[in-house]
Formats: sequence, structure tokens, C-alpha cells
Amino acid sequence: MEEEQSFLDICGGSLTLQRRYYSPSCREFCLSSPPLSLRSLTAVTCTVWLAAYGFFTLCENSMILSAAIFITLLGLLGYLHFVKIDQEALLIIDSLGIQMTSSYASGKESTTFIEMDKVKDIVINEAIYMKVIYYLCILLKDPVEPHGISQVVPVFQSAKPRLDCLIEVYRSCQEILAHQKATSTSP
Amino acid sequence: MVENSQSPFPEGVIYGFVIFLSAKFVSILYLVWTFIPESWLICLGLIYLPQKYWAVILPVYLFITIVISNVLLFLINMMTTSPLDPIHTITDNYAKNQQQKKYQEEAIATLRDIPISEVNQMFFLAAKELYTKN
Repeated sequence: MEEEQSFLDICGGSLTLQRRYYSPSCREFCLSSPPLSLRSLTAVTCTVWLAAYGFFTLCENSMILSAAIFITLLGLLGYLHFVKIDQEALLIIDSLGIQMTSSYASGKESTTFIEMDKVKDIVINEAIYMKVIYYLCILLKDPVEPHGISQVVPVFQSAKPRLDCLIEVYRSCQEILAHQKATSTSP
Repeated sequence: MVENSQSPFPEGVIYGFVIFLSAKFVSILYLVWTFIPESWLICLGLIYLPQKYWAVILPVYLFITIVISNVLLFLINMMTTSPLDPIHTITDNYAKNQQQKKYQEEAIATLRDIPISEVNQMFFLAAKELYTKN
């Protein structure tokens, strides 16, 4: 079962949340941001090339023009491969774990998996990030202390959705976690 | 000093007035030194005074210091803001070691740090209408 909804991120850009219910104990949430727009790409390229042409008219060295072309190409490739995240997915499998996948614009994917034994809770926390934002994070258990928290793992770091989107994801996650806690405490 | 002075002349007023008078005196002295030519001052007998160069430079130094300290304060604020990762955005040593008092009927509950899981459940699971209307 698939559902799609559009939300806003903290800067005002649009995001799309896809919810897939594979089974009562396995759900996936994909947040996709819009791809690199032609308008912003042309704007940056024109600015860099015009600045290089301005320097060229000042100092009459043609290496500047070829250097500008080179820098623009390398910068675009590096941005697509290392910076621009197109889609972030959160997959929760009851009694197995939580998997977070980020897919970059160049096709690279990076995945993190956390076992369900280590997960204490998924909460919405507030923090200061040039203003106060809400973000979803996974709290990990402390092996030493039973009720302690050892680590905080923030989720959807580059998409940065707003509170309404986070509440949807939070409610679905809490259903699965409640179900998991009920089955784990009853032997 | 606050709680036992009901009189209209506490000591702070006198200190403030002394500082005000001395500031006025120093400013008039500074203006006199800046504008009166060197030869007149030598006639008066004051031969070992700082160069007139400093009369212009010291205000410029002060202004640049103020501008840079504004920028520096903002940057220090940005450096000390913690990132989203660390555990101390959720809890810290004081919250972990707090004691729990027994719950009494009809008494106001003691002030304590509520764990973030309970806060989240109260906000987002229980009150469905409060947030979804936005």
C-alpha cells in the first residue's frame, strides 16, 4: 500500500513523502527533494563565467577562462556526488531494525542500519539551527544503564522536513515500536 | 545594598556622580589638547605631551574595536551552538540523577525533568487535533 503527500521543508522548499506499508510490521518512508533545477545551474554557471571573463579583461591571461570552465565542471560533479541528496528513506522492520538510506544525485547511495535491540525510542526533538527546528531522531540504549541513552542519531538531516511531516512519520513509527515492545516483554 | 537602603541617596548615586564629573573633565581636557596649537602649549610650559597624531588615531581604534567585537560575538555564538548530534540536547547528568518523590493525592507534583519520550507521547500521540490543523 503506497501513499504520497507533499510537505514543506524548513526553508520553504517542497518535499514529497511516500509511505509504503509492506506489512503490519514493516514500513518505509521516503522523503524526496526536488532535483537540481536548470535555473539555479544556469545562474551559477553564468556568474562564474562572467566573473572569469571580467578577470580576463583585467589581466589578459587566457588561462583564467579555461580554469573557470574546469572549475565549473568539477564543482558540478562534486556537488552532485557528495552534496545533493535526492531521496532519504527510513525503513522500519519490527524486531529486526531500522535502516536509513540516502541517495545522492549522481546515483551514490549510503546506508546505515541500526539493530532493534539498540533502539530505545524514536522522538521529535527541538534544537537551534539558525532558528529553532524540529527534527526526528533515534535514541540508542546504553549497554551499561538500562534506562539511559547512549547516543542520538538524527534522521532526515538533509531534507529537514517541518513538524507536520515529522508527526506523520512519528505516529507510524510509534505504532510499530509499541507493537514491538508488547511482543518483546511477553515471552 | 538594595535591601537596607530606603533613603533617596544610596552610595551608588554618589559614585555615579563622581564618574560623570571626571568623564566631563577628561573630555574637556582632551578637546583642549587637540585644538590648541603646539606653540601655545609650549608657551604655557607643557612641553612633554603626546603627539597630536594620537588625537585622531585613538577614536579610530575604538571604533574598529567595537565593530570587530560585534562580529566576534556573533561568531562566538555560532561556534558554541551545539550540533544536532550530542546527547546533551536530550538529557544530562543532573536529569539522570534526580530523585523521585512519591506521588501524593491533591498535591502539586514536584518539579522534575520529564523524559523526552513521555513529552513526545503527550504532545504528538494524544492531542491529534492540536497540531494537524496547522
